[in-house]
Order: sequence, then C-alpha cells, then structure tokens
Amino acid sequence: MGFMPKDIIKGIAARSPWLYRINAGSCNGCDVELATTACIPRYDVERLGCQYCGSPRHADIVLITGPLTARVKDKVLRLYEEIPDPKVTVAVGICPISGGVFRESYAVCGPIDKYIPVDVNVPGCPPRPQAILEGIAQAIEIWKTRL
Amino acid sequence: MLEYLALPLAVLLFPGGLFALAFGLVLKGADRRVAARLQRRVGPPLLQPVFDLVKLAAKRTMVPDVAFRPVFLGAPIIGTVAMMLAAALVPIAGVYAPDPRLGDLLVLLYLLAVPAVAMMVAGSASGSPFGAIGFSREMVLMLAYEGPLLLVVGAVAVKTGSFSLTDIVAYQQTHGANLLDPVLWPALVAFMAFFPANLGVAPFDIPEAETEVLEGPLLEYSGPALGLFKMMSAVKAVVVLGLGIALFLPTGPEGALGLLVHAAKMLVLVLAGMTLLRTSVGRMRIDQAFAFFLKWPLALAAASFAVALAFA
Amino acid sequence: MNFLGILMRNLAQGPSTEAFPFGEATTPKGLRGRVHFDAAACMGCRLCEQVCAPGAIRFEKRKEGLGFLLWHNSCCFCGLCQHCCPVDAIALTEDWHLAHPESEKFAMVEEGLLPNVACAGCGKETLSIGVNVATLAFQPTAEELAQLHALCPACRRKASAAMQAARKDAGTGGQS
Repeated sequence: MGFMPKDIIKGIAARSPWLYRINAGSCNGCDVELATTACIPRYDVERLGCQYCGSPRHADIVLITGPLTARVKDKVLRLYEEIPDPKVTVAVGICPISGGVFRESYAVCGPIDKYIPVDVNVPGCPPRPQAILEGIAQAIEIWKTRL
Repeated sequence: MLEYLALPLAVLLFPGGLFALAFGLVLKGADRRVAARLQRRVGPPLLQPVFDLVKLAAKRTMVPDVAFRPVFLGAPIIGTVAMMLAAALVPIAGVYAPDPRLGDLLVLLYLLAVPAVAMMVAGSASGSPFGAIGFSREMVLMLAYEGPLLLVVGAVAVKTGSFSLTDIVAYQQTHGANLLDPVLWPALVAFMAFFPANLGVAPFDIPEAETEVLEGPLLEYSGPALGLFKMMSAVKAVVVLGLGIALFLPTGPEGALGLLVHAAKMLVLVLAGMTLLRTSVGRMRIDQAFAFFLKWPLALAAASFAVALAFA
Repeated sequence: MNFLGILMRNLAQGPSTEAFPFGEATTPKGLRGRVHFDAAACMGCRLCEQVCAPGAIRFEKRKEGLGFLLWHNSCCFCGLCQHCCPVDAIALTEDWHLAHPESEKFAMVEEGLLPNVACAGCGKETLSIGVNVATLAFQPTAEELAQLHALCPACRRKASAAMQAARKDAGTGGQS
C-alpha cells in the first residue's frame, strides 16, 4: 500500500484490535470479569472496535490471566508463539504480574514476564471491568505504535 | 473499445467488485450496529468492517507447516473472485442488466456454491482437526440448504418460463412482483430460511462457531488471507440478497433512485431477516439444522414448485 | 414470540452502556482500591504485615527508622490490613485507576517511613509513638502530645505517669 500515507493506514487499522484470552492457570475470577467486559451491555468493548476472537491467529491484543502454573506452562508458551505479530500483551489481575496470592506455591512458575514480554499490567483481584477497559485502551495505544 | 471494457468494469467496479464489497461491508456494519442496539449496547461504528479489513491487510499471513499451501492460499482468492463475478450477474431493476454472455441463473447458482466449497476446502487444507470438523459441518449444512434453494429458484423459473434473471425481472415488471403472488409465498418463506444459513448467521452459523470449533475452517487463517474470506462473505451477502430481491421484489424506479431503493430493500432484508434473527436465537446443532432444512423449508419450496408447475 | 417484544423494548430504551472510557465511570462507595498509608498514625505493630494475604506488605528496619512498603501488583485488595489495623493507619481508597505499562511495574508502591527520633529524655534512637495510639491511650493536649512524641518507651512511661499525677492534682485542686 505504498500510495497511501502509512499513518492513515495505521490509524484506520488501529480501530480494530481483536482480543484473545489466555487462561494460564487462573482461578477464573479474572476470566469472569473479562467475560463480563465483553458480553454484558454495560461495558461494551465493541465501541472501541474490539471483539473477542476464537482463534489465536486472529488476535491482536492478548489478555493473560493466571499465574503460570507448571501444568500449562509449555502449552501457554506454545500458544503465545502462534499469535502473529504485531501483538500487545496485557496481564490481567495480579497473578500474572507477580504470582498474586499463589506466589510461593510449588506449582506456580512465577510472574509471566519471565517468559513472555508483557506490555500492560492491570492489577486487581480481580480488576474492575472499567479497570480492564482502561488497560485495553492503554494496550491499543501501544499497539498503534507497533503496526 | 468501451464495449470491451463494459464486462470487466461490471465485474470489477459496478455492480460487482468494489461496489459490492463496499456495499456488503456497510450492510455488515449496519447489522452489527443494530444488533448492538437490540441488545442495549452502543455497538461499533458503521464502518467497523472496513477497519477490520484494513487491519487484516496490515498483518501477516501465517501458513501452518501441516497445511497444503496452494489450496490454503488459493481458496480465499477463488472464493472472492467467484463472488465478484456473481455480483455482476445479479440484475438491479432499472439500473443494471447483466450481460447475457456472463451467464444466467444456473451459472449464478453454481457460483453461489463456490464460497461454501472454498470454506470447506480451506478447512481441510489447513491441516487442523478443527478445520476438518468445520469442513464436515459446512458440507452437511450446504447439503441441507441447497435443496430448498434449488426448488425456490425452480418455482420462480417455472412461473416465468425462463432461467434468465433478466427475463424474470422483466416478467415481474409487467405482471407484478412475485411477492404478491400467493403461489410463491411458501417459496418466499423457504428463501427467508435459506439465506441466514448461506450467510453463516445464527442459528445456522455452525461451521464457523467460535466457541465450539474455534472458528472451524478459519482457525489457521490470519492477515490478508483472512481478510479475503471476510471480503468473500461481504460480497456473498450482496449477491444472495440481490438474488432474493430479483426473484421476489425487483420492481422499482429507474436510475439513481432505483439504486437507492435497491439498497433500501437490501437493508430491510438484512435487518429483518438476519439481525432480528441472530440477536434472538442461539445456535442450532448441525443435526438439528440438517433436520430442520429437510422438513419445512424443503416442503414449502416443493409445494411452491409443484403448484407453479401445475399452473404453468 | 415474547423475545420480539423484548427486542423492540430494547430498541426503544436505548443503550445501557456506561460512558467509560469516553466519560466518567461510576465508583461505588467503599470500593477497595489503591492503598493509602498514614505514617504519622502508624505505631509499627506490623499486624498488617501479619495478616496480608499475598504478603504484599513489608516492613524494614532501616537506619532512618521503620520503612513500610506495599506493592500494588501483589496486593489482592482484600482489606484485611485496614480491618486489623488498631490505629487506622492504613486504608483502601476508592481509586481503581491502576492499569500501568510494564515499565512502571515496580513503581506501583505505597511507601512510608516511621522516622527514628533521638529521645528527649535519654538520647536513645527510638521510634516515635503514633499519633492515633497516643491520642487513644493518653488523651493528651497538644503540648503533652508533642512532649510524648519525642520520648523512648521507658522515658514515656515516666512522663505519662507524671502527666496523670498532674491532672489528678489539677482536678482535686479545682474541686477543693
């Protein structure tokens, strides 16, 4: 697309970030909040152009919940590689950021940024849907710079 | 010189190609926006499908190692091209009459089958088990809805006495729209059941179900290849709706006003037949959908066909 | 056919979507958000550190005094620290705007310092008494509080005993 200024293309493309959830051993609390943010009319993410996609290959913004438990570590890392660049990673909840309340467990492989480059953190246990929306908005800003 | 250009222009610009693509994307955007309002949400902007396409063009297509590369990359191209050709075949009363060299209703029916086959083949070529499930479900669904479609088209063709869409439109302009003919009302109902299944809209969005088969055939697609599939689906909407309007209610004014009226008819058909339906029902299972199509739509279409044949 | 009525009613009622992030979001009263630590009120009992569920609170004895550190990325916002603090030195505010980029990950802290003071009585380095606990225990006037503040526990015991005796005298003095 050499005949159109790159910035216009990037500006248009940035209005359609697709979200993809990865549950890395989460207790499901943050996943419930993510489902709430997506599905209920009060916190419509479609206004921002986002939609939840079923396939990792369609994803732009990756939302990771859960401390990386030993059981799913390899699968999550493999799944993360399947997501095409450019992508932005958002750690939702305190578990991926620091291990959360499960920090010193033998089954937890530690904060997720030991294995995956994280871009935005949304602390909370679980974070409010509005806080998650704020994190997604910040992630969209970062994604614009990577397009 | 211009006569030679008329055909390619019809395919590439109006009413096929760019026009059908733009119109299809706007229809999809309207469908998403109205669906959101029906669910008490705000919804995406009207041009959201355009933004989606631009974004998909900016990403890269990843081809899995186990995929069969020529088919994996060729299927969306073939599907989109077929749909753009098909859009040039659909007449818009008073505005556009397709070139008879392009083909008639039978060619259109064949072309309408190509996107479904492209989706199926893409699913099997992608090498993933979810793709294979999507392939088989799409095939079953296609078997289910092709029957009623053929009988509906047959009923209208028998009544008109010709398989040419131009003749069908001309017949209705002199004898009154088929919408007003009671003989064809069962066929109309069958068509209203057929087109959500063809366009992959709830309750018949089974092959592409996100939560069940992880988007089925589209699972391994990304970037421009996925964008081509989205384009194919947008143009298919224009083609199928255009076909429905040509079969049942093509009458309208000429010229630019005729184009607006045609667009308005399509919008009403999308909102009433697709949006209302998909926001109010859940998804059927594939066996339920198959059984459904083999019961009422087939029976109604067959009834219309039989009566039209009797009175012909 | 009921759902058609519902859909039409939805269309008529319009969206129920909250304006955030394009407008203000409603925050319910009592929402447990960012933690606020009041170093002046704290008495250094370290109960909050004991009850903190994910271990987000750390106290550290430093040269300057007792340092308090809470990392919001480890805090699960349960409110146990606020519930157990005897002197209301730690509280959860209603601020939930905590999303941050990865570069600020270790900056999401609430810090505080209970400074060491040189005792006015014996010169030893000691932690000064928290304002809230002094108020609870002694009901002092402002100048009495200033006096008690700069004393080590041993000298404070002597000073407060003298204060109580003086008050009793003043009381009986007034009566008689």
